Amino acid sequence: MNKSRIILGGVAIIALMVAVGGATYFMARHPVASAPPAAGASPAASTQGAQSATAAVNVNVTASACDPNELTVPAGRVTFSIHNQGSRALEWEILNGVMVVDERENIAPGFSAKLTTRLEPGDYDITCGLLSSPKGRLHVAAFDAASAKPSQIDLIGPLAEYRVYASYEIDALVDDAKRFADAVKSGDLDAARALFPVAHAHYARLAPIARLFPDLDRAIDSSASEHDKKEADPGFTGFHRLEWGLFAGSDSGNLDPLADKLAADVVALQNRFEDFAMNPEPTIAGAADVIGKTALGRISGEADRGSGADLSDLQANVEGVKKIVDLFRPLIARVDNPLSLALAEDFSTIDATLAKYRTADGAYKPAAHLSADDRAALQNATKKLAGELARVRGALGLS
Amino acid sequence: MKSIRTALLIGASSLGLALAAQAAPMDLVGPVSNYKIFVAKGVDRLVTTTAAFTAAVKAGDLKKAQALYAPTRVNYETIEPIAELFNDLDGSIDSRADDHEKKEADDGFTGFHRIEYGLFEKKSTDGLAPLADKLNKDVVELQGRIKTLTIPPEKMVGGAAALIEEVGKTKITGEEDRYSHTDLYDFQANVDGAKKIVDLLHPLTVKADPALSAAVDKNFAAVDGILAKYKVGNGWQSYDKVTEADRTALKGPVTALAEDLSKLRGALGLN
Repeated sequence: MNKSRIILGGVAIIALMVAVGGATYFMARHPVASAPPAAGASPAASTQGAQSATAAVNVNVTASACDPNELTVPAGRVTFSIHNQGSRALEWEILNGVMVVDERENIAPGFSAKLTTRLEPGDYDITCGLLSSPKGRLHVAAFDAASAKPSQIDLIGPLAEYRVYASYEIDALVDDAKRFADAVKSGDLDAARALFPVAHAHYARLAPIARLFPDLDRAIDSSASEHDKKEADPGFTGFHRLEWGLFAGSDSGNLDPLADKLAADVVALQNRFEDFAMNPEPTIAGAADVIGKTALGRISGEADRGSGADLSDLQANVEGVKKIVDLFRPLIARVDNPLSLALAEDFSTIDATLAKYRTADGAYKPAAHLSADDRAALQNATKKLAGELARVRGALGLS
Repeated sequence: MKSIRTALLIGASSLGLALAAQAAPMDLVGPVSNYKIFVAKGVDRLVTTTAAFTAAVKAGDLKKAQALYAPTRVNYETIEPIAELFNDLDGSIDSRADDHEKKEADDGFTGFHRIEYGLFEKKSTDGLAPLADKLNKDVVELQGRIKTLTIPPEKMVGGAAALIEEVGKTKITGEEDRYSHTDLYDFQANVDGAKKIVDLLHPLTVKADPALSAAVDKNFAAVDGILAKYKVGNGWQSYDKVTEADRTALKGPVTALAEDLSKLRGALGLN
């Protein structure tokens, strides 16, 4: 008895919140119908219905055509009501070029089905019966400012795809770091020197998120200047310690344990990445940091420790950041198209400039080879890019 | 007065609990990315097996081509929720004769089922070479497109229900592999593809709606149990040997599974 009163109280609160329009999000996911029947439930449900339901857009499909054959709807969430007036089971699809944006399958002849979907502005085709039937047209009007802002759900796809990219890069890093370590240990130092930029480029592509594993980042990629005793510091390990040994130092005989440690540390990174919860804010902040903090040092050649891998690393840093931007580009363009275009322009300037210094075997010349003009072009483009990347988070409405 | 306040407090805290159980959108990032990797590996297998299948067709080796038809196709059926997002390729790889005006005689009818028609109905590889080449080209194109595809979470989560719903509503009649009667290979592949989606989402589903999660697991076990009866060695019994009564017995659990799976999107906050 007491319990049912408490539940009633809860329902009353929900009803109240819905009445003032504050709990649409909650209501959509926890229908009142799942609570015991209570006096408060039915007004709550009908209020919710009135708030979110827009009239469904009707489409009649015969054996060979859609009626109407041309539709215009607003951007965002739209519900279609599809009536199959043909004589065989119908599959109704919204197409963007050859891509199915959404579909409702298996509508029996004489029956109707509803399809609720989120649509971006633009022109789409709709299928009407047989594959050979002429397609109808669907125009989706532009977003208004309020509805353009990406939702959390909009961010899942791009971030998941970045997680796939990062996971493939980590796998490649593990393989190439092993090859590099094996070359060091076998004493084939020429092979080791050639493999250094290849293995390190994987890590440079991962730079936006690698810093989220600070202990491993330090073990794998710190520079001598970050350690008390510089090159002589026993805590100085990883790629740059090996780089120093291979290209500048005379202690290559001591590199074996360092090679083993690097190979083990990247495997530890691979294992930890398995359970890593990726979030949009640090990923995008990391991308901005990579360009803002490390790119300029690579262009000047100041970061060079003898391997001459600066431009290779720069290219890899830019590639890793560009991957993130490309994946979020549709969302950035939705809220700030000029920003999206400016980002694309900077990436193409940097790519075109760096391409001039690529050698036949796919490696890069040292940064010292940069002409004054190309160095200036790279510096300007990376500064501009860093500024724009710093604005992406805000544009996407992230904190 | 006091009882109202208590009710308000308890109401508010139960509301908080409900929100905590709800999957946060970013919890879906891991499952969606792992699903993409699963699909990418699946399409790689499709490309490799299609190359072997079409080589047998072109070599005129009817027996081998017939034997490879079903084991090759399953690689398409397992990843169908994503593969069918490409309307043009889905049409050229997997459409049925009914999708075309002139049915089997239609020049637009290509892909697995057109080749199936040649191999099993006409019992000949004559004239199939250009169709084999096209199928090969189409699956390689699909592989390239999947590589650059961002999978929308709704397509992954909704894909499980769509796969099973199609089995229950149309495939159960034996329409898909009507010339070869290898439908049970496809059913199992569809079930496996849906199961993979559900398994990847399991940690979220079990939090968001434990009862639904348990019902889905139970339904999968029921469907798997029925399908297992038709297993013959490494393959499956010919579907024309499955009686009308047995098909009806399969339809119930498949439909129940599809109905539960259709609630996943809502349970995970994706509607």
